[in-house]
Amino acid sequence: MSALRSFRPLLRSSLAPARRTYASQTSGNPVLEIFNRKTKHIQKDRAAQNVEESRKVDYLKDEVAMRLCERLLDIKRTFPNVLDLGANSCNIARALTTPIPNLDPDTGAETHDATTLSDRIGNLTCVETSPALLNRDIDLPFNRNLPISREVIPDLESLPYQPNTFDAVLSSLSIHWINDLPSLLAQVNSILKPDCPFIAAMFGGDTLFELRTSLQLADLERRGGVSPHVSPLADVRDVGGLLTKAGFKMLTVDVEDIVVEYPDTFALMADLQAMGENSAIMQREAGPISRDVLLANEAIYRQLHKEEDSRGIPATFRLIYMIGWKEGEGQAQPLARGSGQVNLKDILGGGDFRP
Amino acid sequence: MPSTRTRPIEKFAKATSKCAVEAAAYGKCIVADYQGVHKDMCAKEFMRLKDCFLVKLRSTPMTGYV
Repeated sequence: MSALRSFRPLLRSSLAPARRTYASQTSGNPVLEIFNRKTKHIQKDRAAQNVEESRKVDYLKDEVAMRLCERLLDIKRTFPNVLDLGANSCNIARALTTPIPNLDPDTGAETHDATTLSDRIGNLTCVETSPALLNRDIDLPFNRNLPISREVIPDLESLPYQPNTFDAVLSSLSIHWINDLPSLLAQVNSILKPDCPFIAAMFGGDTLFELRTSLQLADLERRGGVSPHVSPLADVRDVGGLLTKAGFKMLTVDVEDIVVEYPDTFALMADLQAMGENSAIMQREAGPISRDVLLANEAIYRQLHKEEDSRGIPATFRLIYMIGWKEGEGQAQPLARGSGQVNLKDILGGGDFRP
Repeated sequence: MPSTRTRPIEKFAKATSKCAVEAAAYGKCIVADYQGVHKDMCAKEFMRLKDCFLVKLRSTPMTGYV
């Protein structure tokens, strides 16, 4: 009897006419989702809720924000309306309000007047998906030196701003979590006013290659297969193409490695987690990495990447800095190819290898 | 609020750091042929590392980590 009953639903469904669902159209440009945005959001929120720990691991984001803001020094302009895209804990705002000492051109010594970039900025809009992270430092003194408006948006991949709104868009260590970078860059280009810059820093290519390789080896040897633990990242070579495709002009892309020394791989992974930078790949396994793999990883990392004379292990962060300008009237244009009159070799010298 | 309670990961790290010899032996085994790594290639070395780790883990107190 029970066997018969279990057959019933099967029979009924095979006899019933095929059910039609509503026709739906997928949006024009399907995007491969690599990162789970919801997971990322939760990770950032959770990390920022432990305020003490979260501030302690801001060393990387603060350093990169400083270096990013130094690039603003070269642009002799005022920026009435600036967007910080993916602000984290407003690290850029903090960097902008930190005075940068000027060097005397003759002696090389520090002069008394320092440049504070925030003087040149009218209003900074910080957008972030995680309210806990965005508002973490809302009470700190630097907030008083610069008008900051904090905005939480549900998704960094679709920006709720009108075209031609901002005089500059800055972004530090956020856009490496974006699934559809071409679309985001096109949106950034659109919300910028003509002849205004987009300046960003992101993790790229070889970031955390040590951890990536040693985890792969540990996974392979312990479990016989590899599962992704470290995000795929954009390569320097791709960035130029991406910016051009999004309509930016006069590109500058450069790369910088920051190597941080950690006592062991556990400290490295704990710090990444406290930064909210732990893996959010769609295809990753649920749950934490197994204890065996962690143990194996620690041994392999040390053997493979530790320098002879150092006590700790190195972790490389590769930063890609990019500057692109929205097209505008009166903007400097590159000359046509082949129109050069002076040979660079005559100015710079070199070019022949005879001693 | 400084907490005196050791986080599990710190205990894990401390226990592992006490097995440097076993860890180095396992690491050397992997690195010796890192392009041909397969499952349980260094199982013997790993078990030695894990045995050491488990012993040290038991003897690591939960407080007083600096």
